[in-house]
Amino acid sequence: MMEHAQYRSAIMADPHNSDAELRAHREACAECRAFTEQLLKFESRLERAMRVAIPSKADVLPFARERGNAPSVVRRWMAIAASVLLGAAIVGGVWLVVPQSSLAAAVVAHMAGEPEAWQHTEAVPQPELADVLKDSKLRLKTDAGIVSYAASCAFRGHHVPHLVVQTSSGPVTVMVLVHESVRRVTPFDEQGYRGTIVPVPGHGSIAVLMRDSGVGADEIKRIAAQVDASIVWTG
Amino acid sequence: MNDEAGGKQRRARFQALCQSLRPDLLRFAFWLSRDRALAEDVVQESMLRAWKAQDSLLDEAAAKPWLLTIIRREYARTFERKRFSTVDVDELIAKEEPLLAAAEEQDVNDVRTAIMKLPDEYREPLVLQVLMGYSTAEIARELDLSAPAVLTRLFRARRQLRAACGEDTSRDPQE
Repeated sequence: MMEHAQYRSAIMADPHNSDAELRAHREACAECRAFTEQLLKFESRLERAMRVAIPSKADVLPFARERGNAPSVVRRWMAIAASVLLGAAIVGGVWLVVPQSSLAAAVVAHMAGEPEAWQHTEAVPQPELADVLKDSKLRLKTDAGIVSYAASCAFRGHHVPHLVVQTSSGPVTVMVLVHESVRRVTPFDEQGYRGTIVPVPGHGSIAVLMRDSGVGADEIKRIAAQVDASIVWTG
Repeated sequence: MNDEAGGKQRRARFQALCQSLRPDLLRFAFWLSRDRALAEDVVQESMLRAWKAQDSLLDEAAAKPWLLTIIRREYARTFERKRFSTVDVDELIAKEEPLLAAAEEQDVNDVRTAIMKLPDEYREPLVLQVLMGYSTAEIARELDLSAPAVLTRLFRARRQLRAACGEDTSRDPQE
């Protein structure tokens, strides 16, 4: 049996470590479970803290003036080289416009931590899927499509279902965020992920996103509505 | 396809790639340097180096780690070139206060200040793990460390941060 200190050292080094031995210890030890929950709450703060705001494109010039220093050698060289190589793309796009909500940013950040989720194509066994969904008090209708990945993931201090559903437009990730309310539909397009967060009255929200696809915003919206319609809330 | 059209297409692809990754690259460079202006310089310079070396990127899916490596090297070069003396963390924090205090939640701003105070050897692996989603093995490869050394640094980083942010650390293990 793993020692408490051994477990806590490992989980402090990597709070999302899904090692079977760690999981077994956590399930058997209430103290370490409480410790992990506290750590995951802090982890959520840490993730948000690291995602510092990127000033919008419109801020580029005032920001440059604010520095007030004579242009550095690097900057002068950049100005010349950029015009030759990348033109306005680099000169004008120093800081990108990223008007995404912090929730959307957190969803995208979570994707980066589980790249393997997209690789699966086989259906997840029904009992496994039911186990992931039960804490969020929902089930999926039988026509929801093939669910090829299902995991209960730590996300902003809660465990939430993270699913990948195979659709006619390709694999779609769905995160059921019962603890996250949004006022309106929030589309986002960041780091190669395009998606939307849809409010679900009384049940928080769901995030639906696709990766590296040419699928347009309307199609994403349609898929999100389809996903929403395939959820049956049981509590 | 003629050379000109091919060149334009290549440039457009590279531009799109950089645009999609730039927010994270800037954040990474910021936490590396703790200086927004320097981060901007480093990312700009790195993009140009990446453009010139793009033939060495065989798989676009690996673009992010490839660019992060370029940024790390560029930052090291800038550091050498400018021959920075001892860094005054309080000065850096004061300088970047508008960025660090931008979140609506005060507890998030407190964590930012605590991250600024972390030693480089703890801050960098932590940023790679939390912000970039790197696994322990990937961090070890990037930083040329053993996996146990990475885990030790990550453990110490979180222990320091939690203590600095007033978390209950009474149940934290000792080394």
